[in-house]
Amino acid sequence: MEIPYAVKPRPDTGVYNAKLGMWLFLASEVMLFGGLFSAYILLRVGAPEGTWTQGLLDIRLGTINTVILAFSAVTTLLAWAACKVRDFGKFKMWHGLTILLALVFLGIKSYEYRDKFSHFQIRKADGTYVDGHIAGSKYVDAAGQEREIHHGFRGKTFTEGEKEFTLASVTLNGYEAETLKEINQPERGHKHEHKDITVPAAEIKKIGNYGPAHNTFTAIYFTMTGLHALHILGGVLVIAYFWGPGSKMWHTEPDRFTNRIEVSGLFWHFVDLVWIFLFPILYLT
Amino acid sequence: MQATHAASHADVHHDHDHDLGFWRKYVFSIDHKVIGIQYGLTALAFLLFGFFLMLMMRWQIAKPGQPIPIVGPLLEAVLGQVAAKGIMSPDLYNSFGAMHGTIMVFLAIVPLASGAFGNYLVPLQVGANDMAFPRLNMVSYQFYFFGGIIMFASFFIPGGAAQAGWTSYAPLSLAIPTDGQTFWLLGMVFLITSSLLGSANIIVTIVQLRAPGLTWMRLPFFVWAQFVASFLLLLAFPPLEAAGIMQLMDKVAGTSMFLPSGLAVGGPLDNVSGGGSPLLWQHLFWFLAHPEVYVLILPAMGIISEIIANNTRKPLWGYRSLVYASLGLGFMSFIVWAHHMYLTGMGTVIATFFQTTTMIISIPSVIILTCLLISLWGGSIRFNTPMLFSLAFLPMFGIGGLTGLPLGFSASDIHLHDTYYVIAHFHYVVAPGTIFALFAGIYFWYPKLTGRMMNEFWGKVHFWLSFVFMNLIFQPMFAQGMAGMLRRMSDGGANYATSVLAKSGVEVTGSLSDMIIRLNNYILWAAVGLALAQIPFIINLFWSIKNGQKVKNDNPWDATTLEWQTPTPPPHGNFLKEPSVYRGPYEYSPLGGKGSDFLPQTEPEGVAQTSSTKH
Amino acid sequence: MSLKAFHLIFVTALSSLTFGCAIWKFVSYSREHVNADLVWAIASLLAGVAVLIYGKYFLKKLKNVSFL
Repeated sequence: MEIPYAVKPRPDTGVYNAKLGMWLFLASEVMLFGGLFSAYILLRVGAPEGTWTQGLLDIRLGTINTVILAFSAVTTLLAWAACKVRDFGKFKMWHGLTILLALVFLGIKSYEYRDKFSHFQIRKADGTYVDGHIAGSKYVDAAGQEREIHHGFRGKTFTEGEKEFTLASVTLNGYEAETLKEINQPERGHKHEHKDITVPAAEIKKIGNYGPAHNTFTAIYFTMTGLHALHILGGVLVIAYFWGPGSKMWHTEPDRFTNRIEVSGLFWHFVDLVWIFLFPILYLT
Repeated sequence: MQATHAASHADVHHDHDHDLGFWRKYVFSIDHKVIGIQYGLTALAFLLFGFFLMLMMRWQIAKPGQPIPIVGPLLEAVLGQVAAKGIMSPDLYNSFGAMHGTIMVFLAIVPLASGAFGNYLVPLQVGANDMAFPRLNMVSYQFYFFGGIIMFASFFIPGGAAQAGWTSYAPLSLAIPTDGQTFWLLGMVFLITSSLLGSANIIVTIVQLRAPGLTWMRLPFFVWAQFVASFLLLLAFPPLEAAGIMQLMDKVAGTSMFLPSGLAVGGPLDNVSGGGSPLLWQHLFWFLAHPEVYVLILPAMGIISEIIANNTRKPLWGYRSLVYASLGLGFMSFIVWAHHMYLTGMGTVIATFFQTTTMIISIPSVIILTCLLISLWGGSIRFNTPMLFSLAFLPMFGIGGLTGLPLGFSASDIHLHDTYYVIAHFHYVVAPGTIFALFAGIYFWYPKLTGRMMNEFWGKVHFWLSFVFMNLIFQPMFAQGMAGMLRRMSDGGANYATSVLAKSGVEVTGSLSDMIIRLNNYILWAAVGLALAQIPFIINLFWSIKNGQKVKNDNPWDATTLEWQTPTPPPHGNFLKEPSVYRGPYEYSPLGGKGSDFLPQTEPEGVAQTSSTKH
Repeated sequence: MSLKAFHLIFVTALSSLTFGCAIWKFVSYSREHVNADLVWAIASLLAGVAVLIYGKYFLKKLKNVSFL
């Protein structure tokens, strides 16, 4: 049994089934990200004074990632065009490049994530803040024996074997601030002097990294870019399948294979397009 | 060329079917009919399960603090402390309440209306040999099934299932420390994914796989209803998926997108950053949940239209009005959501906007109902079981719709919000409304699925008992709601009863009179009656597979639409030769009909056609 | 809509991002005279022009492919 219009377009609608299906799926994706974008707007507008973080993310890395995704959209289009003119070698080259670009994107993204997870903020007992990347922390065990951990923080207590260690002090490479506003919305052109600051455990009221739980900005940042990165991952898996084992279909049904490349390309373009919107709202403003 | 192609393939596949083993044929099937039946049976099981949850809650409401008879000890054995001595604790009541709503909406009615009826009938009615993406169809059922398993399993985890109502309002849903909500959110992500895949599949099938000659205005109204409902699912569900992911982040990753600053739950919450917006959840939730109402009701209207046209033996009155009204309904349903939120302190300008759109959306609903009502005029009506259910749908949906108007006005909603009046209103739409339509559909298409009719006598018993008990259950709730009885109280309002308050020497204006409290008792026994009334249906459903009266031919109801032109039951691939369509879907009693009183859509030569060309 | 049509949409979005960025940075340069703003503005403008030239090139190359 064969489903009609699986490969050839239906004359009165002008499309084949999978293309219509993908567009419908993308319509629902627009609503999915639309929901998140409206959540972003509501959270930002409703954020209490001084709590919305600006300028946290590295614009240079964001720009590089934007350029990478833009180029991957171009290679996707060229791969499809190569299929159209029946040039299998060129298809292999262009889509190989797409996969490479996607992986570089994910690499940069995970570097950015790692950077945020090692970036800490301490609220001290006197109400002021220390903000910066972790440089080390000291722990003592019950016998008073001290132990230093470079570039690490393992919570206020941690156990190793039999011994339980409690926090003695944390060292951050960063700066001190009186209010959250100084940290989150610094004056334009103002650069904080970075130096190693050691805070004893007794002075720490709250310590946490810039993970999703840090504030509503990091929450929506990790949610949106995380979901977007999952889309990239899903897309690159599918493209890699078509590039590798799935490309056998080229020799038997080239038309159907070209359609597959087009439909996966539609998805890829959508994911790129989402990034075009994510970049300005998260990195630039 | 296409026709010969399909015909030869039908033969090939007839043999091929026998090669498939049990697993490929019934469990991992890619045949839309098998998947439709899978959806149907799973959804019916969940419907019964959700109903039993409600039955136990009704006992607790009517007789607070008394052990539940029969199932009480079983409940204690399975769930432990929350049902100690067979008494439902308030926590258990809350989780049953939340899960009753979730199961009925997301696991029973939608899968039954869109999954089962949509899957089985849409390809048949558009003359296709299967859905556009058969394998995706199988996957969407599996997503639904896993979502259902996660939801069901959440009853048995420590702390029990979600307790924050089917609406899962934040911050309550986040403040409850048990894991039920996490399961609920995970289950919802699966269910939403399933609906998205399923609805995209239905739309592509309708757009791409219509048989030659089946133009848009020749589609049966059921297909139109599925088309609009699928668009609603496709576009309204993703914002809830976004909201669900955000709530999952709040629950699991410790973010506070829905937790405001300064929130105190048994002391200030120091471990969250705050700064979130609880109203954001409500907006995203109702952006789905209002269109969802029309996802529940549109397929029901589609089923009713098919049955009414068939059993009045005359064309539907105002087919085009029906189509345009359902499109209008679908469009408008996206801009009414905040009428669920009048009490959140929104400004009067916004409230007025949503009041206006809410009143406007009643217009297409009334058009549809009026068309169906006028369709009865002058017909020689066959009062069989499906028709009885369909006829009952009209006034029941009417009551449900009209009682919604006071809720749509912000002034009267202040009094009625969150009372039993709301419960009565939407249950009139969904229970004696949609569920009656689904029953009608089951009785009507059963002979196509099995080749045998369901028993007519027991069908009528099922109908009349259900009809009486449904009204006995929901009619008193209007009175309770107007008297000010709130929903979600595990003691059924006993703490606000005049008699209880008088005993402790307090006098409260607006407390609940004995008469209002006593209604709880009547409702309980009506609900038990409704449960008993389903027994004939369940037995009939299974007994008739082997013992029902055999159908006289492939078209036992003398219907016009394409699904009756297939063998009974339809084989894999459906049609023996690709059907061609020559006329609209409801050509009953054609002018000067020759012998029979109906012209199937595939009939090329017809008196009706020639007479219409003369006009 | 074919991939060609979607690519056109993408190119349009990308060029509006680059030109929007350029205008934004020019405005803030004219207000505050920070040199980094001018560098960003000119870079964005050049990127935008490059995107437009590419857009013309790809439309020419895929002249025979349908938008549908």
